[in-house]
Amino acid sequence: MVDVAMVGAGQTKFGNHPLGLKGMWAETIEKAVSSVDHGFQPTDVEEAFIGSIAFGGSQLGNTAALLTEHSGMEGVSVRRVENACASSGFALRDAWMAIKSGQADIVVAGGIEKMNDLSTSRKRYWLGVSGDTEWERLAGLTFPGTYALTARRYFHEFDSTHDDLVHVSVKNHMHGFENQVAHLRKEVSFDKAKSGFMVADPLTLYDCCPTSDGASAVILVADHLAHKFTDTPIWVKGSGAGSDHLALHDRPSLTQLRATQNAALKAYKTAGVTAGDIDLAEVHDCFTIAEVLATEDLGFAGRGLGGRFAREGQGRRNEGSVTINASGGLKSKGHPLGATGTGQAVEIFKQLRHQVEPERQVRDAELGLTHNVGGSGATCAVHIFGRER
Amino acid sequence: MSSQFISNDDGSFLASQYGPHWAGPDGDRLTLAIRLLNQVPPGEISLQCFEEYLEFTSSVSLQAVIETATNWKVNEKATTMLHTHSDEFIVGITSSIEPPTYPTFDNVESDDGTRNDLRNSWQEEVSGVSQGAYVSQAQHMIASASRLGLRAQTDKDRLVWPPRQLNGAGERIQEPTEQLSKLATILTWTRLSAAGAPSEFSGRAPILGGVSTVLVEFEEGPKGVFMLADDESKSPEIDGTVRFEVRRLYGQDGLMHYGLKAILC
Repeated sequence: MVDVAMVGAGQTKFGNHPLGLKGMWAETIEKAVSSVDHGFQPTDVEEAFIGSIAFGGSQLGNTAALLTEHSGMEGVSVRRVENACASSGFALRDAWMAIKSGQADIVVAGGIEKMNDLSTSRKRYWLGVSGDTEWERLAGLTFPGTYALTARRYFHEFDSTHDDLVHVSVKNHMHGFENQVAHLRKEVSFDKAKSGFMVADPLTLYDCCPTSDGASAVILVADHLAHKFTDTPIWVKGSGAGSDHLALHDRPSLTQLRATQNAALKAYKTAGVTAGDIDLAEVHDCFTIAEVLATEDLGFAGRGLGGRFAREGQGRRNEGSVTINASGGLKSKGHPLGATGTGQAVEIFKQLRHQVEPERQVRDAELGLTHNVGGSGATCAVHIFGRER
Repeated sequence: MSSQFISNDDGSFLASQYGPHWAGPDGDRLTLAIRLLNQVPPGEISLQCFEEYLEFTSSVSLQAVIETATNWKVNEKATTMLHTHSDEFIVGITSSIEPPTYPTFDNVESDDGTRNDLRNSWQEEVSGVSQGAYVSQAQHMIASASRLGLRAQTDKDRLVWPPRQLNGAGERIQEPTEQLSKLATILTWTRLSAAGAPSEFSGRAPILGGVSTVLVEFEEGPKGVFMLADDESKSPEIDGTVRFEVRRLYGQDGLMHYGLKAILC
């Protein structure tokens, strides 16, 4: 079967971005195209998959066609992919499958979200739009609330306290501090993170990712074209996805994400690797408790030991067996919903090619993983990337 | 919410714990009536002396709300009448169509400012229109047996709640008929700050200092999430017990949506 190589990747800075949807997407494609080493142009693209929840107030329908029109790809076969915060993780998987199946040789996967151009009152209507609207939302829950329910139950079931989540926050802010494209580039002390404003008890402000604008994209090609465009392709070695009940209360466990577990199993299997082989992982830490669960569900820590993993600093850059969220994660790098999944892939692309800021470089990085979750765990896409085919 | 209940020769009457001037942060004449109907033996009841005094139109018909949330049947020819005071939050059940002589209830001090703020907030909320995610009136009607009455579906040997369409064999699951327990156990809980509350509650959440939600498990198996009510002086605990009462959930598009809220036991 065809192997898939990533030959280009780019993203805007995440945060309060001055440009609108069209401008952000154009900037992203410009960066992705310029990151390709040899002779690539947007008109080479055969298929495009763009993840977005269409949070912003600009273009809600047919967003993908508008974006490709404004980025030199008019006429390409394109569609929007919507799976909540996992939209571009699934766009990446769709692009991977398009090449794997032999239907296309050159494909763009990306994502975009404009979140900060809405008024506060209008933004409220969109809060929790990807949770279970009928039952969870009408019980007063938005995502901080849903993850707070998970965190409190986790503390009840396992040897863990809120301090473990504080460690996650401090680590990710430390990692994101040097990242030029991160939204919140500031280090946070343990005491400050511990005493943050209570958003949803027990989660404080420092447990929650920011609301970001941003866009990201990667360029995937079939194996026979990889060396036409670059001498150092990054191989998409594995892809897996899964889903689960939309509402937390319908799931058998409140402290595990079955969608992640299933996606990871498939991704490890297609890549022919195990969790122990991974050098760095960009995991979906929309809330700090989500990173704790992810370290367990992805196999980096045993069941109930994710809190201890964080407490012991095992995910810190170059300190443990795997670096978790070298970019700063959603917590520091930012979370522009639809752009987050491929934004994680951009970070892995640069880390594996040793193209990040020197102080952020994960040593001897050979294998990277991305983990992109939709909602409170209803959807999940996991990808594994390597320097070797 | 504890309430004030009086039964005398004229009938049975109820006012909230806040006295006859206020039905509480999420109460009104309808929620008081449901509480009263659940305290006396059921039968058939007429609403003709009651309906006109409701402040807002319910998204689900009054008959459906009452028949789902209580064991009473609504019959306009019934000789048992549901009454409410025109100016005060008192409800009564009598056997006469004439306005009853309402008994005197204790007046309980409540903060006028909070009361007025909440009243204004409800008014604004009901007149608002959603500009994002919302649950349609049709969906409220479809799910009313589950939302207001805790009726669960049966799928082979298990109970299903909230309702679903098909099971794993591709078979349609029947309409909900099985009554879940009136009590449930708290598995986890949170208190959401006003800033993080969904738009449906964004007007009232700052006045109430946030909203609390519990995720509970019924002894029959299903789990669910409910907003807490009457938790001003108590905090929930994992493994604690809650019961359920119909309260105002939120207002939108000119309609008031009612549903069950959890009350700490």
